[in-house]
Amino acid sequence: MYLHVGQLLQNQSDIGMILQTLFSFSFIIYLFYAQRIQAMTMLRAVEGTLRKVKGIRDKGRNTSIEAVKEAAEDDYDPTPEVERFLEHFFIPPTSLDPAGIVGKMGQLLNVRENIFEAEVRAMAPKASDSEVNNLENLLEASLALNVYYKVIRHFYLLGKRTMNIYVIMQIHMILPMIVREIEAYSRALQAFRDGTPIGDSVGPLVAARLMHGHEWSDVAKDMVVAEVPYNGRTLVVTKAKGPGGSVGKPGDAIENILNGRKGRKKVDAVIMVDAAGKLEGEPTGGIAEGIGAAIGGIGVEKHKIEEAVKKHDIPMYAIAIKQDITHVVAPMVEELYTACDTAVEIVKRMVDQRTKEGDTILVAGIGNTVGVAQ
Amino acid sequence: MISRMTDAGPQAPMMSLSWVNLAVVVVLGIFSLLFLWLGFQSFGGENPDQGNLYIVVGTAGLAAIGYMFFRTKAISSQKPPVEKAEVVTILECPSCDLKRVRDFQRGDYVYKSDESCTRCEGTMTITGIHRKAEPKKKR
Repeated sequence: MYLHVGQLLQNQSDIGMILQTLFSFSFIIYLFYAQRIQAMTMLRAVEGTLRKVKGIRDKGRNTSIEAVKEAAEDDYDPTPEVERFLEHFFIPPTSLDPAGIVGKMGQLLNVRENIFEAEVRAMAPKASDSEVNNLENLLEASLALNVYYKVIRHFYLLGKRTMNIYVIMQIHMILPMIVREIEAYSRALQAFRDGTPIGDSVGPLVAARLMHGHEWSDVAKDMVVAEVPYNGRTLVVTKAKGPGGSVGKPGDAIENILNGRKGRKKVDAVIMVDAAGKLEGEPTGGIAEGIGAAIGGIGVEKHKIEEAVKKHDIPMYAIAIKQDITHVVAPMVEELYTACDTAVEIVKRMVDQRTKEGDTILVAGIGNTVGVAQ
Repeated sequence: MISRMTDAGPQAPMMSLSWVNLAVVVVLGIFSLLFLWLGFQSFGGENPDQGNLYIVVGTAGLAAIGYMFFRTKAISSQKPPVEKAEVVTILECPSCDLKRVRDFQRGDYVYKSDESCTRCEGTMTITGIHRKAEPKKKR
């Protein structure tokens, strides 16, 4: 066989000559057009992804319109309002002068939240608070999908127009990661439309497991708190107010709890439970313990929590429930559901080992509480 | 951070290279058949070695066409982007400890209790909602 293949390139036979010519011709073409061929191949990959993303984006838009129609009054077509919502944007404050940027960011985020809530209430005035929260989350997921689609399309069209390999490469290199995020958001559509718990709900679910059956009260915007006796200690458990989709204001809640205990026993420890991104190879639902404020997001709530805890000089422990990015906003998988029960046991063990009888421990379940009441 | 963009060009990307693929398949097919024919001619004649070469090249051409068709089929028969997740609701009766699992219904949430127990007079409480375990994909 090797002899045969070798013979193909010899000029003695007719076929050898033809192949030699073809080989030389393709070599010359490749010499001059290699980069263009590579760019075309990459563009084609981006094009395929763009088609897929467009399908997901359209699905998100249609799901949002249908969900708003269901929750709104009869014969109301929310399409123009939903389309206007999907184009909404957020301009972060300048970081040229970073002093006070957290406050500015917090103020802008509050305005954004209020505007979103008002928009949804205007579209669906008869919807309950939980429904409004779920619709808000659904529209935000659709908005994110719309932005992903437009950014990929931007690079695709720009690359196609300029045939500049560096423009095309930028999007092609990060495409696998983006696609995972887009798929995660597309799964969020189902979760927020139906109101099922998502991967990020593990924190609130752990808190709910601890506080269920005890009297609760509001402690900050969309946040609840309950005092739970446990092994001679008092657990002050807080989470976002469910079952509508909301992350609440855990920073405000923790600040209010710590500052509002005048005349009562001060908090001796803070335990935060939250979902955390897992690395490839780690199991979904794996639990790790650590130190610090277990909370994601832009950082406004984290800043408030750290400031409050520092002010009162309280040790802060963290419990992270590991999950893949595709699980975070998708309906909760069984591994995460069972991990919540394990996390409850870990919270109890931590309380037993790190505090003494008579202590007060603040337990905060961080995350979106969609589908989880208290 | 979200940056605004203006709409540029067509909304949906087109299959701009499909006619190129078709032309390549046709040309490759013609040459492959020609080489195979030449191969069989030479194989029975005076020069069987050259016949082997023709057959190898012709078969390689047909294999390349098969691969291209395989690729095209894989793209055209793509599954929907993301499949719907099947979700189940777990209910428990605090009176008789009966545990029941049923399909998720809209309006269900954890710690909702408005469903009567099928065994006793009690009211069942939803204690969990999660996705059904997906069968592992075969490699």
